[in-house]
Formats: sequence, C-alpha cells, structure tokens
Amino acid sequence: MVGAAGRRLLVIIGVPVLILLVLVFAVSRCGGSSSGSQQGQSGGDLVDGITEEPDTLDPQKTNTAVTGTLLRYAGDSLITKDLNGDYVAGLAKSWEESEDGTKWTFELKDGVKFHNGDPVDAEAVKASIERAMDPKTKAGVAGSLFSEVEEIRAPSDKTVEIALKRPFSVFEANIADPRAAIVDAEAAEKMGEKFGRTPVLTGPWQVTDWKSGDRIRMERNPDYSWGPEFAHDGPPRIESLTFRIMTDNATRIAALQSGEIQMTDVPPVNVAELEESGDFQLQNYLRTGVGLFMEFNVNKEPFDDPVVREAMNYAIDKDAIVEAALRGLGQPACGPLPPSIEGYWQGVCDYAPSYDPEKAKSLLSEAGYEPGPDGTLSKDGEPFEFTLFVQPEDTWTQSAQLVQQQLKDIGIGMEIQSFEFGTLLEKAKAGEHQAELMGYTYTNPDILYLWFHSANIGEGLNLSHIDDPKLDAMLEKSRTTIEEDAQEETYQDIQRYLVDESVWVPLWNNEEYIATSQQVEGAEISTEGYLSLIDARLAEE
Amino acid sequence: MFQFLARRLVSSVFVVFGVSLAAFSMVHLVPGDPVAIMLGERATPADVARLRGELGLDEPLPVQYLDYVSRAIRGDFGESIRSGQPVLGEISGRTAPTVELALAAMAIAVTLGVLMGVIAATSRSATADFGTMAVSLAGLALPTFWSGLLLIYLFGLKLGWLPVSGDGGPRALILPAVTLALPAAAVLARLTRSSMLEVLGQDYVRTARSKGLPEDLVVYKHALQNAFIPVLTIMGLQFGALLGGSVIVESVFARPGLGSLAVDAILARDFPVVQAIVLLAGIVFVLVNLLVDILYSVLDPRISLG
Repeated sequence: MVGAAGRRLLVIIGVPVLILLVLVFAVSRCGGSSSGSQQGQSGGDLVDGITEEPDTLDPQKTNTAVTGTLLRYAGDSLITKDLNGDYVAGLAKSWEESEDGTKWTFELKDGVKFHNGDPVDAEAVKASIERAMDPKTKAGVAGSLFSEVEEIRAPSDKTVEIALKRPFSVFEANIADPRAAIVDAEAAEKMGEKFGRTPVLTGPWQVTDWKSGDRIRMERNPDYSWGPEFAHDGPPRIESLTFRIMTDNATRIAALQSGEIQMTDVPPVNVAELEESGDFQLQNYLRTGVGLFMEFNVNKEPFDDPVVREAMNYAIDKDAIVEAALRGLGQPACGPLPPSIEGYWQGVCDYAPSYDPEKAKSLLSEAGYEPGPDGTLSKDGEPFEFTLFVQPEDTWTQSAQLVQQQLKDIGIGMEIQSFEFGTLLEKAKAGEHQAELMGYTYTNPDILYLWFHSANIGEGLNLSHIDDPKLDAMLEKSRTTIEEDAQEETYQDIQRYLVDESVWVPLWNNEEYIATSQQVEGAEISTEGYLSLIDARLAEE
Repeated sequence: MFQFLARRLVSSVFVVFGVSLAAFSMVHLVPGDPVAIMLGERATPADVARLRGELGLDEPLPVQYLDYVSRAIRGDFGESIRSGQPVLGEISGRTAPTVELALAAMAIAVTLGVLMGVIAATSRSATADFGTMAVSLAGLALPTFWSGLLLIYLFGLKLGWLPVSGDGGPRALILPAVTLALPAAAVLARLTRSSMLEVLGQDYVRTARSKGLPEDLVVYKHALQNAFIPVLTIMGLQFGALLGGSVIVESVFARPGLGSLAVDAILARDFPVVQAIVLLAGIVFVLVNLLVDILYSVLDPRISLG
C-alpha cells in the first residue's frame, strides 16, 4: 500500500510526468519522420497533396484512380499521349496495326532500363503483359485493358507482336493507359506483395518509400533518357517528388497556402480565392468523363416509362446547377460523353432536350400525370414521388438540392438519400434505386460499352439496368469497328440513341483545377488530367 | 489487492470477449455478400469461392469464430483487401502516431480541465466561475472538425506559427492534440468543479483551514486529492472518446494514425482491417479502465481492494 505522502506525490507529479512522457515519445519519433517536411526550401523536392491513398502502386493490380496519376511519374507505357492527347512514342519508338486490326507490332527504343538496371527487351515486355493477363496476378483495371489479347510474341530482341482475339477499337488507348505501364515481372515475382509498395518500372522517377497514410516518395531516375518527344532529353530536373495523403479539402488548401505543399487539386469553392491571391498558378482541364448525371433505373416506377424520363430532361435547369454547385467552373452536360473524350458527338447539345418546364409538364400529362389543386402531380391518385440516391460530396448534394427544388416547382416530390460511395454503387448495381446521381472518369469512349451493355448489369457498371438488344448490338459494333469514320459514326449513333431513350439527365462536365505554388516552373497540364512534371523545375527561394 | 485485480481481470476478459464477438460479427452483419463486396466488380465465381475459403466463411459460425480468435491471438489478422498487405503490419505502422496524439491530448485535457475546474470552484468572483464554465461549454459544443479548422486557420495560416498538417514531430503534434483535447478538457473541467465544491465543504478541509494552512495548500493538496477520484474515472472513459475522436482529428490534420486508417478501411470496405482496429481499440479501452481502477486504490485507501 502506498503511503499518504506517496499518494499526494502521485497527483502532484502525475500530470507533468505524463506531459514529459509524451514529449520524449514525440521527440524520439520525430528524428526519422521529419526529413520530408522541411518543404519550400529543400530545393529538389516537390510536395504534392493527393486526395486519396492508392490501394497499391502495382500498375497491374490497382483499382484506384489516384494510382493512375502517380504512375504518370513512375512508369512508362509502350505508347503514350502528348499534352494534347495525341499518341506519341513511349517505350516503343514505333508501332503498327495490321490491316484487319488483330495484330499490333511494336519496335522498342534502345537502352531502356528498369529502375533496378535490368534491360527492357521484347521478352521483358512480353513477361509484363503476360503477368497482367495471368489470373494468378488478380489484375485490377489492367486486366481489362489487355482482355482482348490472345498472344504476345517476341520475334526479335526489340520487336513485340501482340495478337488480338478480334479487332478492338480502343486497344491503342488501352496500351497508352498508365496502368498498362511495363513492369519488371521478374522483380515482381521476387518481391511478392512488396512490389505494390515500391514497384520496379521504367519512369522518370522511382518509388522509394511509402509511409502508410502519410506519404509516398519518388526519387529521380538518373538513367532516364527515353522520355516522350514533348519532353527534354535526359532525367527530370526535380530531384524528388513527395505525395502527401491529405483527404480533407480544407486542410489540403491550408497546407498549400502555408507552403507545406506546392501542388494540389483544388475544389471549385477555393478556385477564386487562390486565383485572386496571386501566389499560385492554377491550371485546368475539362474532366475526361461526365462529372455528374442523374441516372434512372429503367425497371422501376416511375422511370420505366421513357416519356417520364424524357420529361425529366426538360424539367431540370442545368445552367443554374453549374452556376451554383460548380461556381460556374464547368458546362452543362448533354450526352453520355464529354467533349474531352474522343468520339464525342459535336451535335449532341443541339439534339438533346434543353430546359423547358412547360414541355416537361405536357409530356408528364401525356404519361398520365395531372396536377392537383396544389400543383402536385399525380397519376391514378398516386402522387409523383421518388427517391434519389447520392453520395455525401458537396458538389453532388448541392446539385441534388437544386434538382429537388426545380422538380418541386413542376409538382414532383423528390427525396434525397445519401450513402457513402461504395454503398451507393452496391445499391445501384443491385437495382435498389429509382434514380441515382453518378459521375465517371475514363480515357476513351469504350466507357459506353461498360456503362450500357446488358453484359454489365449486376456486377458491372450498367446501373440503369437497361437491357436493349439494339443498344447492345451498337455497342458491340463500336468495339470491333476500327475504321475511323465508321467508328465515329457508331459512337454518334449510340449517343443519339441514349439521348432518345433518356436513360440519364446529364447534368454537368466540370473543369478540374490543379494549383502549384509560384516556385514550380514549367509544369504543364495535360488534357488527360494530370500535371506533367518532366520539364518542371523548382525555383530557388 | 490481488483478489481485486483478479476480479477486474476476469470481467475485463469478458468485455474483450464481447468486443471480439462484435468485431467478428461485422462481416456477417453487413447487408449483401461481404465477399462479393470485398472483391468488387471484376470478381469471378472462382475468386469468390477462393476468398470464401480463405476467410473460412463456409464453416459453421462457432468454428469460424474460434478460428478467428486463435489466429488473432497469434497476431494473424489476415490481409488487407485493399492493399494486400498483412493487417498486423498495416496497423502497427499506424499505432505510434495515434498513441502519441492520444497521450498528448490526455495530458493537455487533464492540465487544462483540472486547472479550469479548480479555478471555477475556488474563485470568489461569480464572473470567473461563469467564464470558465462558459468556455468549457463551448469546448464541449464545438465539433472537432470545426475547431480543428479554426486552429489551422489561426495558428497555421494567419500567424504561421505551426504546421497545419502531417506527422512531422512535436510541432506538428500541437494543433491536433489541442483540438482533440478540447472536448475532454471541458468535461473534466465541469466535473472537477462540482467535485471540488463538494469536497471544499467537508470537515477535513475546514480543519485544514483552521490549522492555518495556506489556502493554496488546502485547495491543491488536501481538497484536490480527494476531488480527483471521480475525475480519474472520467479520464479513463474520456480516453475512449479520445481514441474515437482521433478518427476525425487525424483526417483533418492528415496524420497517418489508426483513426485515419479506420476511415479509409471503412470506406474501402476493408473488413479485416476494420475488425482488427475495432478489436485493438476495445482492448486498449479496457486496459486503460483497468489501470484507472487500480489507481483509485492508490489514491483513496477507503476504496477496498479485498
């Protein structure tokens, strides 16, 4: 038993001791972890605040969008795109498609090496792609990029031939995807799960360290001499890149303003403030995907009736939503593709319905909905009411509230229910929704196949549950048509058909903004939605 | 003392058992097929069958539970669905920042809370009493994500004294620790005040005063020591709140701790990671409260340990 004096002592010194303990603990830990946090003056280190943590940096296993962006800095694909979105040489100096579109031949550049010094020859490329296709790899997105590949051959040291099962119109786009980056399959085999933390690739920077939940670090690849033609020859100028994981928008912007990070994505609400301050350079691109659309479950009342769906397209004032939810930083969407994706039909905005509440009311009356004394629409005594599923993201919920108000004005009652994104997706896949808000980002028009083909109902992304043989046929044709004009026409037909069927009310295509501090020079935005840093440098402070 | 300890230990084991049961049941309580959810859209039936086998979901529930517990005891919590890394490794890498944050917040909360409580209880001016209690009410009412942003704005941006985010040593710890400490400090302040008021009216305090002891000595030594016992209980409970609060504070300050790991894991439906964090947090909470029970007896010999 402790004596009275001891008890008193415990109370009196307990608190200071606790504080001391913490300080000792904190100081003992800070030695190792603070090396990257002297930002601003560390010359060669550019710190980018990223909004989510990647699942893995293995290009072939990842399922997160952020990994694609990081791979722009750490990896190279056989072919790539320049800043305007045109195909240019990547690891292959030239490439050719056979007449019938089923065979692709790549000639590799000389002197390319993996980060560990191993040469990148035809056999290495073959091994890389075969790894992506191997079921044991449990490939993520990369698996579908190579899904139509039948066989890969390496007839010579520098020649790779890829035979396809059938012509595949988006194969070139798939090969240029950052997740199609060539990996050192041998190293991957040896490293096991560690490969996902520090992958062995060929890019201008090499991933050296990944501290969970905190940061990912990449260091300059001193041997890099095989950059794309739009970049200077030789290794990048910036010594290292640090990607700090910062999920909270307000914190990320504060960190940019305080100089802790020098680059980050900017949500619409902060764009004006940062621009006015003059301390930052803001660059923007039109998102490669429809930012937000209202999608109907075509199997459920009331949206099983195409006339009702069409009426909804007249009932919603998209301009007002762009102004309020996006602060004007975007444009109303008209169809299932945005102008930033190849295959976009230029005429879609003229063709698609535009805001006309009177027309909406007359269509609804045609569908059997008549206004009551208080203006509420009803059919056979049942009021027109439905629930919209959304995710709790500012721009989404604000848009939903505006839609709610606009629909109320013509007598439709809409309830908003918010779910975390994963749950929202599950519910929509299962068809539990009447309508949902959704958005996507993709690199090519094959997204239409993924989103509307009946094969993708249930597990896939066909969230409207539309099962239409005529649409399916058009979508299949779009995949196997390789002649350019015919392909464009097919995509145009699909877009017109989807507007006719009113599967969506497309709402907006948003401009995405990336801010860099004035210290960062020569960073250029790509239409693909990332900031090219290969030519960038950090000014001395 | 030994008997008391044994009894508390036994009841702690039951609580931990309950926590493990809750963590285990999580996979079975979520709507839909957890395996399909975990694997996502590109899962083949073979993948589903394989993961089912790996998670042992084909076995009867009690067998599954025993298997889960026996593996957990050996430190095997499976692999993260999201990253493919062992869960234990993921968690251990994130523990230190959270421990550091929780301890620092506790220290700040106790110092601030007890000091404010004593001042409020002993102050002869009604304004001082009212003032401290109003401040503590504000601390209690402000949500941490908001007070955190306020502190970031003031000390990180306007004054530029402290870093706004990250895990870069003691300076980066100050703002998140204060943010996390505020609600706990408020609770402790209110409790200390009422507890002090009660003690100050008791005979032994009057005796101490009449002996001519200096007022400070009476208040801080004689009165506070006894007033501290209920405060200690709440400290233990508040520690749980701090662990919970770290979820928000770590996200706001971009700190790589267990809280932010929990958020990521929940959003990614990474059940093995969520399960392990729930279990770990439960055990820590139980241990802290066990420690508090032991401290009682040290502080107050009247609390029987027999």
